[in-house]
Amino acid sequence: MTDEREITLTVNGTEHTVEVEPRRLLVHAIREDLDLTGTHIGCDTGNCGACTVLKDGEPVKSCLMFAAQADGAEILTVEGMEDLPEADGIHPLQEGFREEHGLQCGYCTPGMLMSGKALLDEDPDPDEETIRDAISGNLCRCTGYQNIVRSIEYAADELADRAAADGGAVAADAGTDGGTAQTPSPEDGHEPPAVGGDADTFCGREDCCGGPSGADPFDRDALLDDADDATDAADRAAEAADDATDRGDSV
Amino acid sequence: MKSAPFEHHEPETVDEAVSLLESLDDPTILAGGQSLVPMLRFRLANPDVVVDINGIDSLDYLSEEDGHLRVGALARHADVADSDVIDDRYGSFADAAPLVADPQIRNRGTVVGSVAQADPKGDWGSVLLAHEGEVIARGPDGDRAIPADEFFLLPYDTTLGEDELITEVRVPVPGSNEGSAYHKLKRKTGDYAMAGVGVRLTFDDDGTIESAGIGMTAVDITNARATDAEEHLEGERPSPDLFAAAGELAAEQSNPESDEHGGADYKARMVDVLTQRALGDAAERAGTVTVKRRVTQ
Repeated sequence: MTDEREITLTVNGTEHTVEVEPRRLLVHAIREDLDLTGTHIGCDTGNCGACTVLKDGEPVKSCLMFAAQADGAEILTVEGMEDLPEADGIHPLQEGFREEHGLQCGYCTPGMLMSGKALLDEDPDPDEETIRDAISGNLCRCTGYQNIVRSIEYAADELADRAAADGGAVAADAGTDGGTAQTPSPEDGHEPPAVGGDADTFCGREDCCGGPSGADPFDRDALLDDADDATDAADRAAEAADDATDRGDSV
Repeated sequence: MKSAPFEHHEPETVDEAVSLLESLDDPTILAGGQSLVPMLRFRLANPDVVVDINGIDSLDYLSEEDGHLRVGALARHADVADSDVIDDRYGSFADAAPLVADPQIRNRGTVVGSVAQADPKGDWGSVLLAHEGEVIARGPDGDRAIPADEFFLLPYDTTLGEDELITEVRVPVPGSNEGSAYHKLKRKTGDYAMAGVGVRLTFDDDGTIESAGIGMTAVDITNARATDAEEHLEGERPSPDLFAAAGELAAEQSNPESDEHGGADYKARMVDVLTQRALGDAAERAGTVTVKRRVTQ
């Protein structure tokens, strides 16, 4: 009566076929069958949101649905963020959490990133209240949320800047509205990721401060590559802005 | 923690679901699962058979039809919050939807599932009571319309038959002289209500209250109507004194329990406050003269 059944889950773009009992939760299928342990189990009651994943683009708590109910669905977990079109080495949200100290113990972070991603897909320029509502299903016991809000704001700004720099190409891929993107300028005070700064302040521990770890989404080498790329992108953006100013365009 | 093992059925039509309900032994219906899945995992519910209705596409609707707003059994809370159908006339629905739990849960949980769960802390039961709505159940003998105020029996217990499936809940389409609102007090975003009040006011052309509906959340053993307050309002013209009296009557008729979130007296007082606020919003939305509230934030 508890026969296993075969289901297909497309997780982070890769199709997987797994055999599950009807009672198997989606979060257990993701963590144990697919070995993607970035998605966390926090409270086991549906309160904390650490298990949040995107199912067909919508944030859901993967401890509150059975794996069989996700048969045929597209799932995004934290492991897939670096491969998204808007990611450049790491995802702007991950970069935001690093830059703005959006995590301390990091347990809630994968879920926060998923809720943040769902929010920015819907609303590329959210105000603080909207951000707080979007993460209201995710509990954090360390940060007091202030820096998490700032991290998501950072990502929104970063995406807008990149959209402007790339002429809207990234924004279109990411489902954001290129038309509302801001052109970066010295006045808005936005700085590209600090390359030397992070490298210099790395504390030396694995899995901390962007330190080295194979599974760490905040991979240091990737970060450094990313920072180089971002610097280049920022340079291009500044040039584009200068060109626009020269032409007298109203941007 | 894992659920006990169960047999999982996924019907694709309502008829298929109903015949499963009829033939299987003590089946449990799974819709959004945002309450049921934790109950299964903590083994508060131990069904041998689960009938998962998420594959019945014909139940995924939210529409205005035949004089009713019809909310199909697979319409999620987020669908109500995002729907174009839910416009200014449906103030109580627009108020309640974003107050249910949190974004993730609103993406999965359903309005009908919340009503069927019959948790006295559920928000939709009060909205349904305020609008004098109905629960539509399909059983072996066809459809049955159950008035909302005959639906709730006890916490988690309703007059739904064991072989019946709720296909929709519905409320009459509001006329131009109607306004509604839902107010909820909770400790933090995403919590269940400590107290909640849903209100509907329908006015005559001369501005007199023709009919009133008030449903209360989390202050009795089920979602409950505040009938004394409703009767007091009907036939009267809106005023701060009238709404204050209605608030007091609702508080008197409520039956809250003290718990870690607040004492019974406090919750009854909150029913009074929330009723007055919701009445003020409903009157304003109906297009009558704004009634200055006696109770302020």
